[in-house]
Amino acid sequence: MFTTQSISVLEEALHFAANQQKVISSNIANVDTPDYKEKSVSFQNVLQTAQSNSNEFQAKQTNERHLAFPLPHSHSLGLQERVQQYNHNGNSVDIDKQMSKMAENQLYHQALVDRISSNFQSLETAIKGSR
Amino acid sequence: MFDSMNVSSSALTMQRLRMDVASSNIANADTTRAELVNGEWQPYQRKMVVQQSQSFSSHLNRAKEQLNEGVVATGIVNDQTPSSLIYDPTHPDANDLGYVAKPNVDIAREMVDMTSATRSYEANVTALQASKNMLMKSLEIGR
Repeated sequence: MFTTQSISVLEEALHFAANQQKVISSNIANVDTPDYKEKSVSFQNVLQTAQSNSNEFQAKQTNERHLAFPLPHSHSLGLQERVQQYNHNGNSVDIDKQMSKMAENQLYHQALVDRISSNFQSLETAIKGSR
Repeated sequence: MFDSMNVSSSALTMQRLRMDVASSNIANADTTRAELVNGEWQPYQRKMVVQQSQSFSSHLNRAKEQLNEGVVATGIVNDQTPSSLIYDPTHPDANDLGYVAKPNVDIAREMVDMTSATRSYEANVTALQASKNMLMKSLEIGR
């Protein structure tokens, strides 16, 4: 069913938002910890899993010795450590960027919750009828 | 989701400790009798907080993708810079030459540290509030 499918997609996105919130909080928590490097959640692995599911990205193998595109099967969200250094103590957290990312993430999360709620409302309308 | 709140609250504890240590340094900026070593009074030594991220010591967590990166104070150490000598022969703790060893506390530095701790505390409160709001919003699904 269309609605239930989009609910599960939205749920995945909610997981992403929660994960991102966690990473941003830990960046803010470690804003003055020596040698801490800023972390960020990346969507890359999720995208790759989606591609591997849709069978769109197959390598054309004309010889059995050709290598297929290796696609990871993990659903985990990748974490990147940035290499730039900003501070004398080896810390690379940019607090302003983290705060704005957090605000953005909050809005994103609110939008997702709003969409899920309206999906459930549509289901309810379908079940009860428009009484 | 609760993890991000735990991370922020660990940072709140950390900043509060930094504030306590800065207060102690300012309070003892003129203390010439902090501890008795071999029958002689030693001036107060400036204290510093050593902090590190929580997962630094627990690589197992990282392996499990359980990124619980709070911050933790691993200790409070003494600043080893020598105490400054002030000429004041009338002081009860003055040595034979009339010099008094004053604590190595720099008030300006402590004030800066205190301001920095306050700002970090505020940032972490904001982060905690954001996590809480997200949690509350999630609870509204299906209402």
